[in-house]
Amino acid sequence: MRFHAAAVLAVCLAPAFAIFEDDAYHIDFHHPLLGLPKHDGTFFQKPYAASKASLLYALTDDHAIGVINPKDGSLVWRQVPSLGRNGTGLLRAGENQDTVISALGDHVTAWSGSDGRIVWETGIDGATVEDLEILEQEDGISNAEAKDAVILLSNQSVKRLDGKTGRVKWAYQDTRQSCSGDTPFQISTSPMAIFYISLHKSKLRVTSLSPITGKKLDQYTLSAESDIHSPENILFAGANTAAPLLAWIDKSNKVLKVNIIGTKSVSNFDIPAKGTLERITLRASNRINPLVHFLVEYQTTTGHSAEVYHVDPTKHTIIKAYSLPELGSKGTFTTSTSDANVYFTRITAEEVTVVSSVSHEILGRWPIKTSPALAGAYPIHGVSEVVVKAGTASAVRSAILFSNGQWVLIRNGEVVWERPEFLSSAISAVWAELPEEETLAHELEVEGHQNVLAAYVHRVKRHIRDLEYLPTWLQNIPNRILGNLFGKSLDFTIEEIQHDTFGFHKMVILATTNGRLAALDVGSKGKLLWNINLGSYAPETTTPKPFLKAFRGYVEVKDKGLEGTLYINSTTGEILSSQDISHRSLAVPEGQKLISFDLVDGELKGYIGVEFGSESVWTFTPPAGEKIVGYSVRPTKDPVASIGKVLGDRRVLYKYLNPNLVLVTTALESARTASFYLLDSASGEILHAVSHTDVDVSRPIPSTISENWFSYSLTIDSTSTAPSRGYQLVVAELFESPIPDDRGPLGASSNSSTVQPTVANGDVAKPYVLSQTYHIPEEISHMTVTRTKQGITSRELLVTLPFSNSIVGIPRHVIDPRRPIGRDPTSQEASEGLTKYTPFISFDPKWHLNHKYEVRGVKQVITTESGLESTSLVFAYGFDIFGTRVAPSFAFDILGKGFNKVQMLITVAALFAGVLFVAPLVIYFRNNIPYKTARLRHAGWKKANKFTLDNTIIEPVRG
Amino acid sequence: MRSSIFFLASLATLTSAARFLIHIPSNPLVNPSILPSSTHATLQSHGPPITAYLTRSNSFMFQNISAGSYLAMIHCRDYSFEPLRIDVSVEEALEGSGDKREVIRAWQTFLGNEWDNKGELRGEGGNGGVIEARPIDAKYYYQERQGFSPLSFLKNPMILMALFSMVLIFGMPYLMENMDPETRAEFEEMQKKSPLGGGTGNPAQQIQNFDLASWMAGKTDTGSARSRGQSPAPQTKKRG
Repeated sequence: MRFHAAAVLAVCLAPAFAIFEDDAYHIDFHHPLLGLPKHDGTFFQKPYAASKASLLYALTDDHAIGVINPKDGSLVWRQVPSLGRNGTGLLRAGENQDTVISALGDHVTAWSGSDGRIVWETGIDGATVEDLEILEQEDGISNAEAKDAVILLSNQSVKRLDGKTGRVKWAYQDTRQSCSGDTPFQISTSPMAIFYISLHKSKLRVTSLSPITGKKLDQYTLSAESDIHSPENILFAGANTAAPLLAWIDKSNKVLKVNIIGTKSVSNFDIPAKGTLERITLRASNRINPLVHFLVEYQTTTGHSAEVYHVDPTKHTIIKAYSLPELGSKGTFTTSTSDANVYFTRITAEEVTVVSSVSHEILGRWPIKTSPALAGAYPIHGVSEVVVKAGTASAVRSAILFSNGQWVLIRNGEVVWERPEFLSSAISAVWAELPEEETLAHELEVEGHQNVLAAYVHRVKRHIRDLEYLPTWLQNIPNRILGNLFGKSLDFTIEEIQHDTFGFHKMVILATTNGRLAALDVGSKGKLLWNINLGSYAPETTTPKPFLKAFRGYVEVKDKGLEGTLYINSTTGEILSSQDISHRSLAVPEGQKLISFDLVDGELKGYIGVEFGSESVWTFTPPAGEKIVGYSVRPTKDPVASIGKVLGDRRVLYKYLNPNLVLVTTALESARTASFYLLDSASGEILHAVSHTDVDVSRPIPSTISENWFSYSLTIDSTSTAPSRGYQLVVAELFESPIPDDRGPLGASSNSSTVQPTVANGDVAKPYVLSQTYHIPEEISHMTVTRTKQGITSRELLVTLPFSNSIVGIPRHVIDPRRPIGRDPTSQEASEGLTKYTPFISFDPKWHLNHKYEVRGVKQVITTESGLESTSLVFAYGFDIFGTRVAPSFAFDILGKGFNKVQMLITVAALFAGVLFVAPLVIYFRNNIPYKTARLRHAGWKKANKFTLDNTIIEPVRG
Repeated sequence: MRSSIFFLASLATLTSAARFLIHIPSNPLVNPSILPSSTHATLQSHGPPITAYLTRSNSFMFQNISAGSYLAMIHCRDYSFEPLRIDVSVEEALEGSGDKREVIRAWQTFLGNEWDNKGELRGEGGNGGVIEARPIDAKYYYQERQGFSPLSFLKNPMILMALFSMVLIFGMPYLMENMDPETRAEFEEMQKKSPLGGGTGNPAQQIQNFDLASWMAGKTDTGSARSRGQSPAPQTKKRG
């Protein structure tokens, strides 16, 4: 009951700050991402047998399972299982099934196809799943109900799992000594048998098993003449075809060798010798019914071509049917089936063509309409659905992964949707100004540096140049007014970056682990502005964790794997040479020195200047055994509106405002202790230190610091003797002195030293720290603070909750360390907005910035000021991309959507009409009343005129 | 041989690890079948929490849970659920029998309170036991925008005052007219005596002569009252 009381109290404390329902989905955006889809884990499939439309299922490189609606690219469901992240990932679906089955690491899971709930789950002890197939047919009869799955494990056992429950029906393990060194490779099913293929030295061992009992039927080895050494050498092992295939290529890349599994003969085919071969791929339908026709795709450095082969399942022969001519551009092929026919779709950056597997005649051709998202990119792999009517392909839709990381659906040559899946691996991001604002600021700067006349001429020229935008601006006025009046302004302004009067349009430059750099416009729902590959500018280097820094008009990219620095134009994404930019070094005013610091060999060291090689000025070494797990720094631009906190009795508590605060977190695993040290980064002195015992140091310990307060979060260790369990949030505030109206020892002294603060004054110069600890319902993985232009708006602590996939903004006054403990606040404290301390803070749903969005895998949240003082821009990345804006003290400087402009106009019109109506009345009274009053009194003035007035007002003015 | 050792090993791990189910029963607040598939439960004790996603049968399956005391939370986009304390222990079924079994007990727990402060029992049993999860409340994320509504408009005291004076202005003459002559004469007599109708000056004039500047300057109540008391009379005289 106490819990409920606390929760209710916490809810009462919370102000009404939240997102308005009509602002949600408008001021914020969310890209629910999956990661780059794997080719063999992507397919079109009906969520259940009776469904009319199919969905697009995908397993990605990030081991996320996701389902996309192919109509608009929206996410239907996704699961990112935390278990089994190691090992290969597989996703399979049986025909006419309502489940999809995934194998990730040591877990096999069946998911409901339409909503993503778990149907069953099986864990495997001590082995990982190497291959997974669905048993489509048994003795030539397809099972209408749940189809069973067959899995191959890394310990060389094959298991058949029941399709309804996931229980093991039978298990086969080759325990013979001669098989102990084999590498399990794949399983393949045919209506009559299950084939288990393993690599036995340089031979292929094929074991056929009975699908019903799991007993070994036959075993033979295929000599591969030392062509195969590892699973990578095998091109293809056919899955679920009537005649499963096994294909590989000889060492010299000259001959393609194909074997029909179950037979011992190997057919050899010459590989066309054109250009340097990069990749050979065999594409066959994985359905059970269709003709056994397959396509071999040859990718060369300059182009691609393909050959189509036919298999005769009765005679066990393979013949080459026809070849598709080489094209001088990159492209890919997809296979699709319709009834028993197989169709191959060839996709290049320019066009989509469909051919039947029977003949090379082109059934349909669609040129791809150019889209900015696909500029300079080529298709890597994809899946297609083809509709064929009367011998011609009437429609084709293909979900294609392009080389720039965009996953795109092309329907009849038109780009229907694009998903920027490469952003799921974002590792660092930085805010950048929009080019328009940058140029204006630059022009103004130019004018500032010139003499008066030149500046005036420059200004006039600038205005004349601006005139060219006047006609379009004038044309847009009616639209804008109408849009403003009827609340449609939002969609309109998104496109018009020039009308960004509130400064909501800011760019975020993101770097990903796979070496891409992209820019998003946060004010336009996260629209992708450009997307480049850093590897093309700096070949043969890897950029696993680039460090980004934004300057005016360009971004600086630094990385340990990168020699030197890359400069990228932030508007276009083009590379700039270091001569192009007017490189500004860090501005250090005259007579001052810059001290920078970094974590070096487990110690925090401070240096003069930016060169880390020189002698360190100070070193912070944590006490014995403690390891620095992280540090947070007060932001370089952190404006503070008021230097003190006004108390209820009008006295002032002065804030300890030091721009050089660093909060260092250390952990001592053996003692389960986390310690926090507040350092002055100029002098390296410890200003404050605190230790917490009974902390689970294996969990994240996020911290943040802003203004004169810092906060961090801990997980209580269960094995400890701590009386309570769960998660804690600690907030500490720094003051110059505990006594109001007192500025401590520095108040009276005329000068002080930043480098040696305590020499003159001793320990009194250290801040007075007030702190409070709260229980919170969930683990926090990252925390940051909102930022505004002047710092007048109260701050909000933004915490990332990884388990509920959300970002919560905790108002500052809720976590004020001055909340009175154990008593109700006095009237003076209440006037400051302080409420009684409660040990538990529940995260009110109204504090959730993400509302109904589920923002998964956020690694970092970055904030910046907008053009308005009330509003701070927020951007989260890591897996999903999320952006919004927050107004912690309400949007006091902007009219919200609640302001009804039509109603205001109607009110003004009504008042005007009222004035018109009343004016003659007033004139009438002014002229007539003095003479009429007497008469009115006697004769009943109501009858004399229509207007009625209280007789107390109609007094004779002239006595 | 190898497989049998493996089998024994797996059996050994099974005996020291429990499995149980957290089930969301259908109740008036929430129909568990419409919960999003991202709904999941976590068990926290030490190190990374153990996660289980929602199944088709509206439950969360936990397998291979070693003995210990766990904080169980259910994370859902649409509803909040009460936190649970789940204790997994290995106990002898009968004292002295030596036959050890897993026992799973689950209680309500209160965050921000002592861990030993347990609430109602939410489930008890051996391996495969079922624990009940209870929703507390639907999550409502949005703030209502205070739109224009006639009722709230009428609740405004200024509007009420204006309406009242309107009634007076337009209603009084009707009242006067409908009065019988004697009552009216009486009423008029009364009005002459009353301070409002009398010669001390009418309220409209008083309002006109109100010294706004001095009031804005924050003069004390007594001072303004005095000035207000004094000023009207001479000014009316001047005008007159």
